[in-house]
Amino acid sequence: MTRYAHLFDGLTPKRVGVVSLLCLWAAASTVWFFKNTFLDLLVSALCVGYTCMVFFTVATNLQQRRVPPWVAQVASIILGSFAGTVLTGLVKGRDIATMFSERFFGVLITMSMGIGFGCWAVWIYYHRQKEARREAELAQARAERAQLEKSVLQAKLALMQAQVEPHFLFNTLANVQHLVETDPPSAARMLESLIQYLRAALPRMREEATTVGREVDMAKAYLEIHAMRMGSRLAFAIDVPEALRAQPFPPMMLITLVENAVIHGIDPCCDEGSITVRAMDEGGRLRVSVADTGEGISPKKGAGVGLANIRERLKALYGGGARLVMEENAPRGVVATIEIDGMVPAAEGVPAPPAPAAVS
Amino acid sequence: MAMSNGIVVDRRRVSAVIADDEPLLRAQLRARLGRLWPELAIVHEMESGRGVEAVIAEHAPRLFFLDIHMPGVNGLEAARAIGRRAHVVFVTAFDQYAVEAFERGAVDYVLKPFNEARLAETVARLRERLATAPAAMEALLELLAARAEPRPAEHLRWIKASMGQNVRLIPVDEVLFFQSDEKYTRVVTADGEALIRKPIKELLEELDPDKFWQVHRATIVNVDAIASVRRGLKDQAEIALKGHRETLVVSRNFTHLFKQM
Repeated sequence: MTRYAHLFDGLTPKRVGVVSLLCLWAAASTVWFFKNTFLDLLVSALCVGYTCMVFFTVATNLQQRRVPPWVAQVASIILGSFAGTVLTGLVKGRDIATMFSERFFGVLITMSMGIGFGCWAVWIYYHRQKEARREAELAQARAERAQLEKSVLQAKLALMQAQVEPHFLFNTLANVQHLVETDPPSAARMLESLIQYLRAALPRMREEATTVGREVDMAKAYLEIHAMRMGSRLAFAIDVPEALRAQPFPPMMLITLVENAVIHGIDPCCDEGSITVRAMDEGGRLRVSVADTGEGISPKKGAGVGLANIRERLKALYGGGARLVMEENAPRGVVATIEIDGMVPAAEGVPAPPAPAAVS
Repeated sequence: MAMSNGIVVDRRRVSAVIADDEPLLRAQLRARLGRLWPELAIVHEMESGRGVEAVIAEHAPRLFFLDIHMPGVNGLEAARAIGRRAHVVFVTAFDQYAVEAFERGAVDYVLKPFNEARLAETVARLRERLATAPAAMEALLELLAARAEPRPAEHLRWIKASMGQNVRLIPVDEVLFFQSDEKYTRVVTADGEALIRKPIKELLEELDPDKFWQVHRATIVNVDAIASVRRGLKDQAEIALKGHRETLVVSRNFTHLFKQM
């Protein structure tokens, strides 16, 4: 039995109440026209009304795709009016045969009134449904916009809060402290890299928009410091075409990827690791990647807030037009790539490298 | 102090080991200690806490200087391995929690970059302390270890999916839903989708049950990705997702998940 229970979904007390009221009103508003008593009309109306209601409910819940739902619903009202009229006859103790002969005119009237009021009720129901749906959609659109605004704000906050790791800072300074005594030129080099890194990384120095070139320089400064500190354990390469350096690029994303590559990739595992930073133009799509040959990602390794922040910020800045793609590096390690669709043509900003002499 | 053939033989000499993953910082500590504590002999240097046993067996040092953050075996783990067989001094660049714990536990520590006066104080204290037996510090180490190491995740955090020749790494938080598709399982994100071989049943065991719900024999949904749930046909319900057009069917066995919402 429960197999068919779903057909009666929506047959709520509220619906029964609404139909009852409608019948009451239909009987009251037509009683002046007929010779019948109000009670007699009400019985007819309730019989037809309840039957139509049940038929309509079933028609609405039927899992069929042959006809549009409204066709099934109107058909259910016509059928329901017919069945309801027959039911009226039975309730009033009339003979079925006479109903379809002598009393046929009365039957026809009852039926048409059922169909008329029924279709009118369905029409109202239909519009109210549509209204409710539109309102729900509107509410959802509003919620989505609020969500987007929130994520834009959060992205800004994340950018402000991204920390310069105190651990990194103090360890680097300890190295400088030692080099000052033992190898002053190296100390100067390390300090220069540290200054360059801090210029870009300190929250107050950060800019909302920067370029590939500036972000790569910052990543390079960071990698130079680590290469000196880690000695033979870390080698790095930067492969960024001059023409791409002027491309706009969101701040602090590349450095996060590079930090991850050092801290979670090379540092935990390797005696000889390497990190490569690349930028390329792939048919109008800017791809900036950081590849390491480190530990790699195991399925249960924490994903880190850094990457989630990058994703949030890309979504807030570019919508669907940019993404962070993580892939396994071969034979080991991770490649993290930020892709931004629709590159700015290289005409503006930093002058492009000198064009080769024209061949005539 | 007796000298023979340039080799110092002195009973009062104190043997020590330095463990730090950064070569320059090992050299720095060695140089500073050399100035402040001439009788101290650095008998060995280590890049990580790995192999503490062998070092003790070979050199029997009375003192270890351990950097807390080292790859492989870190300073805290090394200290635990050393136990009460030698005195331990921790070396750290920055770790508020650790420093607080050291202060309370009266454990010796040195901050990087070094402050000459502070290092001299530590040396003076160590000279006194060497006369006594090394203190037990298991409780302190456990406290620190609990703070330092992120607990290993219990649940699946990354999905590895082949895409052409590459293996894509997808954080599970980005996945909107998983759906079995005959031989494979579809992994659908806002950016696209991938196929993996891992069946729904296995995924279900590994994913965080608070974040991923099974809503159908063939479907697991990310709860955060649900935009709305509608009553559907039969006893089913229908899930609309954030930022994705497909809707998901909640079969009768799982509609109870949404009853109170």
